[in-house]
Amino acid sequence: MVSAGVAEGINTVWALVVAFLIFFMQPGFALLESGQVRAKNVGNVLMKNVTDWTAGVLAYFAVGYGLSSVVGALTAGRPLDAPFAYFGAPEQWVTWLVGAVFAMTAATIVSGAVAERANFTAYAFVAVVMTAVVYPVTTGLTWSDGLLSLEGYVGQALGVGYLDFAGATVVHMLGGIAGLVGAWLVGPREGRFDASGDSHPIPGHSMLLAVLGTLILAFGWYGFNVGTSAIYGPDDALLSAQLGRVALNTTLGMGAGAIAAMAVSAYRQGKPDPLWTANGLLAGLVAVTGAVPHVTWLGGIVLGTLGGALVLPTYRFVVDSLHVDDVCGVFAVHGMAGAVGTLLIPFFAVSGFSATQLLMQVVGVGVVATWAVVGSGVTFWLADVLFGLRVSPEEEEAGLDASEHGIAAYPEFTGGSGGSPDSQPVSADGGFPGGESDD
Amino acid sequence: MTDDIEMVVAYVRPDVLSDVKQAIANAGAPSLTVTKVSGRGSQPVKTEQWRGEEYTVDLHEKAKVECVVADVETQSVVDAIADAAHTGEKGDGKVFVLPVRAARQIRTGKTGPDAV
Repeated sequence: MVSAGVAEGINTVWALVVAFLIFFMQPGFALLESGQVRAKNVGNVLMKNVTDWTAGVLAYFAVGYGLSSVVGALTAGRPLDAPFAYFGAPEQWVTWLVGAVFAMTAATIVSGAVAERANFTAYAFVAVVMTAVVYPVTTGLTWSDGLLSLEGYVGQALGVGYLDFAGATVVHMLGGIAGLVGAWLVGPREGRFDASGDSHPIPGHSMLLAVLGTLILAFGWYGFNVGTSAIYGPDDALLSAQLGRVALNTTLGMGAGAIAAMAVSAYRQGKPDPLWTANGLLAGLVAVTGAVPHVTWLGGIVLGTLGGALVLPTYRFVVDSLHVDDVCGVFAVHGMAGAVGTLLIPFFAVSGFSATQLLMQVVGVGVVATWAVVGSGVTFWLADVLFGLRVSPEEEEAGLDASEHGIAAYPEFTGGSGGSPDSQPVSADGGFPGGESDD
Repeated sequence: MTDDIEMVVAYVRPDVLSDVKQAIANAGAPSLTVTKVSGRGSQPVKTEQWRGEEYTVDLHEKAKVECVVADVETQSVVDAIADAAHTGEKGDGKVFVLPVRAARQIRTGKTGPDAV
C-alpha cells in the first residue's frame, strides 16, 4: 500500500505516458493510410491526418470535452454541474489530454475511408464536427455516466451499465461507421467500379508503409487499452490483476486477429496476404478493446480471432454488396470488429454469463451505431452543402497532392536540383514556363 | 575497321545483371551504364493482386545495359551478354548494336576510340 499522494502521482505520470503513446497512433494511421493510396494522393492523406489532429484538439478543447459532460448529465437525469469549468481548472487538463487523444483517434479513422477523392476543406470540417460534437455525444452517452451507464436512464432500467472499456464501439466502431457513411456519400473513386458494378483494384503505392504503420498503431494501442486502467485504484491499492488482464488480452487479441486474417486470406486467395494480416492484427485489437478487463484470456483469443477472421468477408460485403469504396477497409477493421467484440463480452465474462448484461450490450451497440450513422451522416451532408464533398474528376485524375495542395509527395527532376542556385527553368521552345521572361 | 566505335544496348532480366557485368568484363569491355527500365516483349502479362482483386501488368522490369565498344570485337561483347542473360524462357531480352559517330572523354579530352 502506498500513500494517497504517491498513488495519485503515479497515476498522473501513467496517464501522461498513455496520452503520449496514444498520440503515437497518429503517425501509425498516417503511414497505414498513405501506403494504401496511390503516390499522387500521399500528401493529401498526410494533410488530412495532420489536420484532424490539430484542428481536432482545438475543437475538443473549445466544445467537445464540455459537451460530453452535458450529454452525460442530460441522459442520466442529473443537473448540469458546470460542464465547462475545465477552462479554469488546470488539475483537469491531464484528464482532458487523455480524452483528446481518444477523440482524435475516432476522427482520424474516417480519413482512410474517404481517401483519394474527398475535398480537403470538407474533410477538415467533418473532422472538427466529429471531435466537437459526434464523438463527445458518444462518450456522453457512455463514459460520462450518461444514458448507457449504470446511472443513465437505460442503465437504471436494466440495472447494469454498458461495457466498453477502452472504446471498441465508443471510439472505433464510431470511426468505422462514420468512415463507411462518408465513403458512401462521397462515392467511389473513379475506376473502382465499372459500368456493370464490378470492382476493379486500385493498388496502394507502398505495402511497406501500410504494414509499418500497422505495427506503430499496435504499439500505441498499448496506451489505448492498458492505459485506460489506472495503476492504483480508489483505495490506493495496486490494480495488478486488472493491469495484467488488460495487457494480456490486448496482446492475445492482436495475435489471434492477425493469424485469423492471415488464414482467411490464404484460404480465399491461395497465399497469406500481408495487408489482410495487418488489417486482422488491428481488427483483433479493436475486438478486444472494449473487453480487455472483463473477459478471460480465452475470451481475448476468441474475440480477437473473430475480429480478424471477419475483416476480409466484411470488406468484400462492403465492396461487392454495398458498392461502397472504403479505401482502407475502416468499416471492416474498426466497425465490424468493434461491434462483434463488444456484443460478445458477456459470453466470456470473468464474472460469468449474464443475460441482462448481454441485453445491455445489444442495446449499447445499437445506440452507439445509430448515433454514428445519424451524427456522421448529418456532418457529411452539411460538409457537402457548405463545401462540396468531392473534388472534380479532373482534380481526382491529377491527384489531390497537385490539385488540393500544389505539391508532390515524391518530387522528381526538380528544377535547378543539383545545379547552381540561379539556374532557370526553361521550356523546349527556349522560353520560360508560365510566360515569365526577362522582358 | 578497328576505328569503328559501336554501342551495345542490351535489355536483360534484372536478376542476371551481375552475370552480364562479369561477362562483359571478361570480354574486355568493363565500362558500362545500367538503367532500371520497364518494357514489353514476348514475356506474358503478369497478374498481381490488391486485397485479393487481380490486375495485370504488361510492362516488365528490365535492366538496360549500355556498353560502348571500340578496341574489342563487338560480336564478342554481344555474345558474352547473350550467353550470360540466357535462360530459355520468354522475357530474356534483346541486344542491339548501334553505330557511334563520335566520342570524347571529358576528363582527358581524348577523342575517338581512345576516349572509349
